Amino acid sequence: MSALGHLIEQRGIATTAIGLIRPHMEKTCVPRGLWVPFELGRPLGEPENADFQRRVLLTALRLLERPGGPVILDDYPEEAPGRLPDAGWTPAVTLPPVEAPADDASAWDWARALEAELAMVLPTWDRAQAARGRTTVGVGRLPVTTWASLLCSFLGGHAAGPSPVPDLRAIQAARYVVDDLKALYTEAAVAPGAAPSSQQVLDWFWDHTVAARLIRAVRKACLTSTDKVLTIVGGNQLVPSARVT
Amino acid sequence: MARLEDLTPAMRQRLTELDCPKYDTSPFVTGEPLAGRRVAIVTSAALTPRGERPMLPGENVFRELPTSLAVGDALMTHVSVNYDRTGFQRDINVAYPIDRLRELAADGVIGSVADRHYAVMGSNDPQAWGELADRMVGRLKDDRVDAVVLSPV
Repeated sequence: MSALGHLIEQRGIATTAIGLIRPHMEKTCVPRGLWVPFELGRPLGEPENADFQRRVLLTALRLLERPGGPVILDDYPEEAPGRLPDAGWTPAVTLPPVEAPADDASAWDWARALEAELAMVLPTWDRAQAARGRTTVGVGRLPVTTWASLLCSFLGGHAAGPSPVPDLRAIQAARYVVDDLKALYTEAAVAPGAAPSSQQVLDWFWDHTVAARLIRAVRKACLTSTDKVLTIVGGNQLVPSARVT
Repeated sequence: MARLEDLTPAMRQRLTELDCPKYDTSPFVTGEPLAGRRVAIVTSAALTPRGERPMLPGENVFRELPTSLAVGDALMTHVSVNYDRTGFQRDINVAYPIDRLRELAADGVIGSVADRHYAVMGSNDPQAWGELADRMVGRLKDDRVDAVVLSPV
């Protein structure tokens, strides 16, 4: 981002960059930068807190009025309180203890297990997206009824059929279905108005759902493939590094 | 998910030691007070209008996000799975502050909001972004934009 700021400024338009990784801003000599002490993925700091976001945005924009460049790099002084866990939070979805199929279970068993869990999550997700008026599910461009069979088709360590999405390889289509699966579960788990930390929500997903167990199983299967794209996408783009077991 | 200092040592090292471009110029464009500026957002979150193909790693392209795009129709297609998305799920403005920008314009703090905003894939190599920047700045100038706020993930 800091580099793009330099390139845009070089072409005649003033820029101000919010930044999450201070060393990158220093290395690229960003024309104007505001480093913020927030978690990666949240450059404005706090979701559903318009006043907080406005303060961050305005602090960055005010750098446009400050003389003294060409390099201005300020540190934003306010922490984001939502980074801390909410001790009273519980997931809005109630699931039975995870009874995922055994390691040697068939793709058919895994698919049935995911479909059964999805059936428990979907009503809560429907209510959540109706209340919020939006959902981030949809990146994969495939109906939810196709997700289980597509993901499970990779448990053999290879694509078991043609890609269901014409402009993507099958493993790329599966990767975006995984994004949708994670988004559907975590959107359902956080009731509108609740404010758990990201850690709490992701702990629930990665430690307590069949979906997460399946995603990890698909990752492991992809890593056994001789297809380099499968090992790269499956190995790096399904499970966050911190959640690999 | 975490701040940089909370990441695993390996991830933290990889991110902080990432090769960044070094430039031999120091551009610094000045202009009128904020209340007269027309502002656009450029995000590295690989936001893509619903229904379009996700932005893929290595593709040095940008996507246009019209100001009129419904917040439910901007999807995050970034290649990385190692940063938080639960905040974005609750509120698009935590990564793409389009509503906050509109409010600042309504309050007269900025002059106006651009008609179009832009998204890139932040994990791509910016050394290859010269032509992308040419095209993006052309579009920004067509829109009479004179200030850009960059928002990362």
